Amino acid sequence: MAALTIDNVKKSYGPTQVLKGINIAIEKGEFLVLIGPSGCGKSTMMNSIAGLESVTEGRILIGGEDVTHANPKDRDIAMVFQSYALYPNMTVRGNISFGLEVRKMPKAEREVQVDKVAKLLQIEHLLDRKPAQLSGGQRQRVAMGRALAREPKIYLFDEPLSNLDAKLRVEMRAEIKKLHQRLGTTIVYVTHDQIEAMTLADRIAVMKDGVLLQLATPQQIYDTPANIFVAGFMGSPAMNFIEATLVNESCVSIQGDGQILELPLLKNESNQPYIGKKVILGIRPEMITEPLSHKQDEECVKVVTLKAMLTEAMGADTMVLTTLADKEISCRINPSYKVSIGEQCEFMFDMSKAVLFDPESENLI
Amino acid sequence: MSSHSLNNQQRSFVQKLLRVALYTILIFMAAVYLLPLFVMVLNSLKDMEEIRSGNLLALPQDPSFAAWAKAWGSACTGSTCEGIAPFFANSFKIVIPAVIISTLLGALNGYVLSMWRFRGSELFFGLLLFGCFIPFQVILIPMAMTLGWLGLASSASGLILVHVIYGIAFTTLFFRNYYIALPRELISAAKIDGAGFFLIFWRIVLPLSPPIIVVTVIWQFTQVWNDFLFGVVFSGVDNLPITVALNNLVNTSFGGKEYNVDMAAALLAALPTILVYIFAGKYFVRGLSAGAVKGA
Repeated sequence: MAALTIDNVKKSYGPTQVLKGINIAIEKGEFLVLIGPSGCGKSTMMNSIAGLESVTEGRILIGGEDVTHANPKDRDIAMVFQSYALYPNMTVRGNISFGLEVRKMPKAEREVQVDKVAKLLQIEHLLDRKPAQLSGGQRQRVAMGRALAREPKIYLFDEPLSNLDAKLRVEMRAEIKKLHQRLGTTIVYVTHDQIEAMTLADRIAVMKDGVLLQLATPQQIYDTPANIFVAGFMGSPAMNFIEATLVNESCVSIQGDGQILELPLLKNESNQPYIGKKVILGIRPEMITEPLSHKQDEECVKVVTLKAMLTEAMGADTMVLTTLADKEISCRINPSYKVSIGEQCEFMFDMSKAVLFDPESENLI
Repeated sequence: MSSHSLNNQQRSFVQKLLRVALYTILIFMAAVYLLPLFVMVLNSLKDMEEIRSGNLLALPQDPSFAAWAKAWGSACTGSTCEGIAPFFANSFKIVIPAVIISTLLGALNGYVLSMWRFRGSELFFGLLLFGCFIPFQVILIPMAMTLGWLGLASSASGLILVHVIYGIAFTTLFFRNYYIALPRELISAAKIDGAGFFLIFWRIVLPLSPPIIVVTVIWQFTQVWNDFLFGVVFSGVDNLPITVALNNLVNTSFGGKEYNVDMAAALLAALPTILVYIFAGKYFVRGLSAGAVKGA
């Protein structure tokens, strides 16, 4: 039985449809991340699960029970908000125990529960402070404590880290991951940050314009994105897209600058209908590197000479912007490989993870 | 170098001059506003002989509170001669419930109109605001008829009802505009925590409201306390508020006009609102300028 089932959910505000038939089912203990650009409907989806917004069509089931028209309080969920939404007039203790108090938990049990949660999140020393006296990271912890205290069936996180500075965000991200692993909770997490999605999720649901584009594990999303949008949205720097022609099942050619460049491909049955036709070749920057001697003999590897236009040192790697067939291509090389701007340099294409898209539908071939 | 410092000196001189001018204007304006009060206090401490023979602005030669005592306890207001003391009690009897009820209803209205919007709630709010612009005189006759039907004519309860109804437009406006700045996620969080409409109001929203409650209470207290028209029309003879009594006192004369008593009575009648301003005025300004809640 799925912990949460979203069954063909649609939502419209007047004539504008913001959710166009979403279907998702997640298992108990699963960490699902909803991701998409702003306005894609991910927050609406989240609010619909919480019961803060009603859906126009479809059903929402929590633990097998239809809660489509239930009040938020009857859904057995907890939510962590982007702004934390701590009650300013209550102490941290009051904030954490409010939900328990409303649900008529006896005082002694409440205290035990608050202490347990405070210990788990290391906020014991803050229990008697007001939210205004806390830092951003501390407020974040309290907001999580408030959600954890009730031990609901499902936790909803609405961009919980976006108000924190970069360093704290990474710390809290790891903390959330640890908590999930330790408590085995079922989590639905909304974000627009693809690194958060990749690092946290068991499965990622990529949304755009109210449509669910792909629901898969982070690695599947990264390696075999369902379409060009997903491919471009996930991964930073973004995947390179190059117009090409499929020569045969294991070769693709790129034309430009009056020259023809042929690159090898892994054999793939589904390529067959596209032989001789235009395709979009997608290759991630880290698959274009300096020539690596140990890989050069591999099946799908080819060394190509390209002109370097710009370099960006990132410490661990250096990003190089080059041009291929009048298109800018970013490559990720080892900082020790010296590249001079404006010069022709050798780069190695590892095509084993290259993907092809249909130029019309933009879907994966 | 030297011309530069000279320039600086000149500039600071001009600035000083402007500052002096500014303070002169401010002090002058303050004096203009305070002068009537000053004259009233001065003359309420004199006896009639001194007022008649002397200068209105002269200091009292032999200050005494005799006029205040008379105004309070024995001056005649129409047919009775018990001073304005009994009417003070009447006014409080009307003002306190009227202020409490209209403030609470305004808070509740504001809460609904900002946090629990319904279809047409903006229109509802717009129509309610219309109430702020209806002149007192317009509603006198329909109100009198309504109070008659309700069996509340010429009673304190009737007058309280009139003040509550008239005040709701303002109190709702105050609370609604204050609550609209509260983060809505606060309400969502409380809903998910399991709290209902009234619990959220009592436990989350009302505890965040003291600044606007102070503003509303001061506003309503002043409005209701200073009201004359509703008081004279709807209160009936047994519940005349202080403003009506003051009018009767000033207009009742046996022999000569007793200006000192009139002035003492007027000061007494104004005392509660003045005290409210003195003690809560800073909260009034603070409440009016209060923004979003920190730490929410």
